[in-house]
Amino acid sequence: MAIVIFFWTLFYINLFTIGGGFVMLPLLQSEIVDHYHWLTNKEFIDSIAIGQLTPGPLTIMNAFIGYKIFGFGGAIGAVVSTYLPSILVVTIVSRYYLRFKNWWIVNSSFSGIRPAVIGLLAAVAITLGRESIIDLPTGAIAIASFVAIAFTKLDPTFVILGAGLLGALLY
Amino acid sequence: MEASVRNIFFAFLKMGTFAFGGVYSMIAFFERELVLKRKWLSHDDFAESVVVGQLTPGPPIINSGIFIGYLLRGTKGALATVVGQVLPSFVMILILAYVYMKYSDIPIMRSMLKGVGAAVVGLVVSVVFRMGKRSLKDYKSVSFAITTFICLAVFKLNPIALIIAAGVGGLIVYRGGALKWQ
Repeated sequence: MAIVIFFWTLFYINLFTIGGGFVMLPLLQSEIVDHYHWLTNKEFIDSIAIGQLTPGPLTIMNAFIGYKIFGFGGAIGAVVSTYLPSILVVTIVSRYYLRFKNWWIVNSSFSGIRPAVIGLLAAVAITLGRESIIDLPTGAIAIASFVAIAFTKLDPTFVILGAGLLGALLY
Repeated sequence: MEASVRNIFFAFLKMGTFAFGGVYSMIAFFERELVLKRKWLSHDDFAESVVVGQLTPGPPIINSGIFIGYLLRGTKGALATVVGQVLPSFVMILILAYVYMKYSDIPIMRSMLKGVGAAVVGLVVSVVFRMGKRSLKDYKSVSFAITTFICLAVFKLNPIALIIAAGVGGLIVYRGGALKWQ
């Protein structure tokens, strides 16, 4: 029964993931970590890192979460529940695109959602920071990663790998 | 090359395999493959796919792909783009998951994950920073961001409820206003 709730949770989370894969994080944290306790905050952070190591959108991290909780079937079901909302919504939108394009209701509500999800993600950054930044070196790694990703064209994948190596050397 | 379901699948499999570097470098890669090289789409169709990708829930790159696949070959084309794009990262994440579950308790893996966890914080903050630079343009958008931040960080309200509330708020505040994407 838990697995059905898990798939359903991913399905509705992805219906509200508006503006890119990272927007999913506040919703995942609230449901998967805080509400159902399927993952600890620590494991949630590991899932983000592993999702970032693979090509493509971060949403594939749901397959990792599914595998971790329910095994291979959990991974397959997680992928289906993650991308099914996209397939349903986009094929409907594609059919009615020309009418949908100038729909002011969509435009104005999205102008509210876009800045709002930035606030949500900032709140998640704080809870993740409380978990991961425990001493001076981890603080330095966090700041260096931020600078590298925000101000250079360095791919986040390399930053995550580099931080892993640093961790192995330091601890 | 003809835009058959099979060819669509392989084109998106290639794009899914090399999809490192975030949304914007991916959009450029898509354009080169689909518009310039294979000539399956006009520039206008492609620009529309980018808009639809951002106007729909889910990852924009996957959603633009679904729009393109649907345009070329209907529902089968749409499915071919999703399977093609997701398959490489799915296989990779299964391998990583297996390694993680087997070795996450050994000391060296623990030390690595300590460094990685700190980098994830930097990564999320940089996403906030980049999105903020793009979308927080006036006092209205800044107040939307600050309000939801406080509602989640301090009052622990449900994020889905907050997104719905922000949508309703946008409807009231930006009523009839034109929206610029990007």
